[in-house]
Amino acid sequence: MFSLIESFRSAISSVRAHGFRSFLTTLGIIIGVSSTIAVVSVVQGLSYSINQQFEGFGANSISIRSVTPRGERLKGKIARITSGDLIAIRKNSEGIEFITPQLRSNIGGTSPLTYKGNQSFAQVAGSTYSYQNVENLDIKYGRFISYGDNQTRRKVIVIGDKLREDLELPSNPVNEFINYAGEWLKIIGLTEKKGSFFGFNQDNIAILPYNTMQGLNGNLIQPDIFVHLQLKDINNLEAVKSRLTRILRKQHRLKAGGEDDFKIETPEQLTSGISNIIDTMTVVLGGIVSISLLVGGIGIMNIMLVSVTERTREIGICKAIGAKRHHILLQFLIEAIVLSLLGGIIGIILGYGLGMLAAAAIPGFPPANVPLWAVGIAFGFSAFVGILFGIIPAAKAANLDPIDALRYE
Amino acid sequence: MSLIRLENICKYYSMGDQTVKALDHIDLVISPNEYIAFIGSSGSGKSTMMNILGCLDKPTEGDYQLNNKSVSLLTQDELAEIRNIEIGFIFQSFNLLPRASALHNVMLPLVYQGIPLAKRKAMAMKVLEKVNLSDRTDHMPNQLSGGQRQRVAIARALVTSPSILLADEPTGNLDSQTTKDIMALFDQLHKEGQTIIMVTHEDEIARHCQRVVRLSDGRVVEDYQNQTDGRIESEVRANV
Repeated sequence: MFSLIESFRSAISSVRAHGFRSFLTTLGIIIGVSSTIAVVSVVQGLSYSINQQFEGFGANSISIRSVTPRGERLKGKIARITSGDLIAIRKNSEGIEFITPQLRSNIGGTSPLTYKGNQSFAQVAGSTYSYQNVENLDIKYGRFISYGDNQTRRKVIVIGDKLREDLELPSNPVNEFINYAGEWLKIIGLTEKKGSFFGFNQDNIAILPYNTMQGLNGNLIQPDIFVHLQLKDINNLEAVKSRLTRILRKQHRLKAGGEDDFKIETPEQLTSGISNIIDTMTVVLGGIVSISLLVGGIGIMNIMLVSVTERTREIGICKAIGAKRHHILLQFLIEAIVLSLLGGIIGIILGYGLGMLAAAAIPGFPPANVPLWAVGIAFGFSAFVGILFGIIPAAKAANLDPIDALRYE
Repeated sequence: MSLIRLENICKYYSMGDQTVKALDHIDLVISPNEYIAFIGSSGSGKSTMMNILGCLDKPTEGDYQLNNKSVSLLTQDELAEIRNIEIGFIFQSFNLLPRASALHNVMLPLVYQGIPLAKRKAMAMKVLEKVNLSDRTDHMPNQLSGGQRQRVAIARALVTSPSILLADEPTGNLDSQTTKDIMALFDQLHKEGQTIIMVTHEDEIARHCQRVVRLSDGRVVEDYQNQTDGRIESEVRANV
């Protein structure tokens, strides 16, 4: 068989002989591949960091939140997980390790936190000691809310670093008092910085004991609770889930056959929603940029056709001294493939750089992450483009008549 | 035994309504180790003759037997193989690949035979030595003089040890001194037993050959042995 190496050698020498032209030819492929890689790397970086965020939830945890079915919402009813529900769950807590309720303040939405004349709004939640594990919070100074804080409704609060800055509290704010909804709360802890996520600052938070928050809300209001449960054994997931469903349906007095007005979710369900969006985004963006690869391929075909015409005489010489059709075909095809692969490689490197740059330029954005499959696809696709658009010029070269080709000036 | 046997060879081209008879019923036999020149004015059909003999083109009519095998019915790829193995081409304008060194140019026909690089290199070096260019193997064609280029082309033609060396006006682009050198090289190759077929319009060149065939309007009008022929032939016989 004709040695492929010889074709490669000839292809590389001809690419080198027309350095600038080769570069311009591959520019389409370079742009196509680099934008694909840049987009994919940024999106994948996002998805990677989202998964990291949810990892703190742990695999053996589930969450309960209220969902108002569409029909009910039209009637003006809003479903809630109430403190009564929580008590019912507590009573039937076999197989459950921790119950972590999260109570958003009903007054907190409008009520600022104040300290020495400074005021700031933050995300205020009432919860228990296990909240620290669920949210992956580390404590920088002081301590987190304890079991006792909750039981005795102590007026204490743990704050995030952003809130501390906004209120111009000292760098160690423990033992200072801040005012929230008319109550003076003692700061017992400051959390470690977590940075921002999707543009949301995760340090603008304040956590107080669940029962304290309930006291602040007052007994007249039925607040909606988000409940987080840690299971003792993940294998009991289905059993626990069905028991909880039964309890909550009974609590909410739902008729048989009626829709649930709450949702019991596993962390996989939470993340899969987000990864679905990201996957769709990847496919759509990938589709758009692959059009530019197609355009790049047409550029390669154009130049290859020019190159065949330019080298008609050379082709004639090769045919005269014994080159068969497939020799010529292979030579030009490999040249097209080399061109587009070269574009692919440069594109991958450039795209990687662009992705890193984009991730670095947007503050708080997760670092770019280029998965191997994206590199593989970009590489394979550019080779495919080379074959697809190289075959016509190569066939044209292979089918030249040797006499006409030799006579060509 | 004949190396080449042409029987009733015709080549017609249609130019609009007119049919041009480039070759018109040619019968010719060429034996091994002949040194033969086709001469004639332009349009006499000698280039067409060259293309047919070199298996670059197929006759419209007639039978062409090379080494007792008919090549009239072969496909393009089969003809390419014959060109590769049986025929060595030498052109007026050298026709070297511009971006390949002398060595690579000479190795090219062997590439199409699938010979491995090391062996290819050895064979190419051997013929380059034969044409006195062993010190120019890495030079590109544009770094070589006309005579050197033609010698690279001759080396490329010889490297496959072909049955026939086909030279088309091999000295047409060379000055008189270089012409002498190249013709001396051809004479020497002939002495070593190589069959050489040449196309030329210069009587001076034709005089080197044993046999001269004059073409006119696609027909053979003269076919004679040169006077010096006897002496050269006897020398060759003595060597063999």
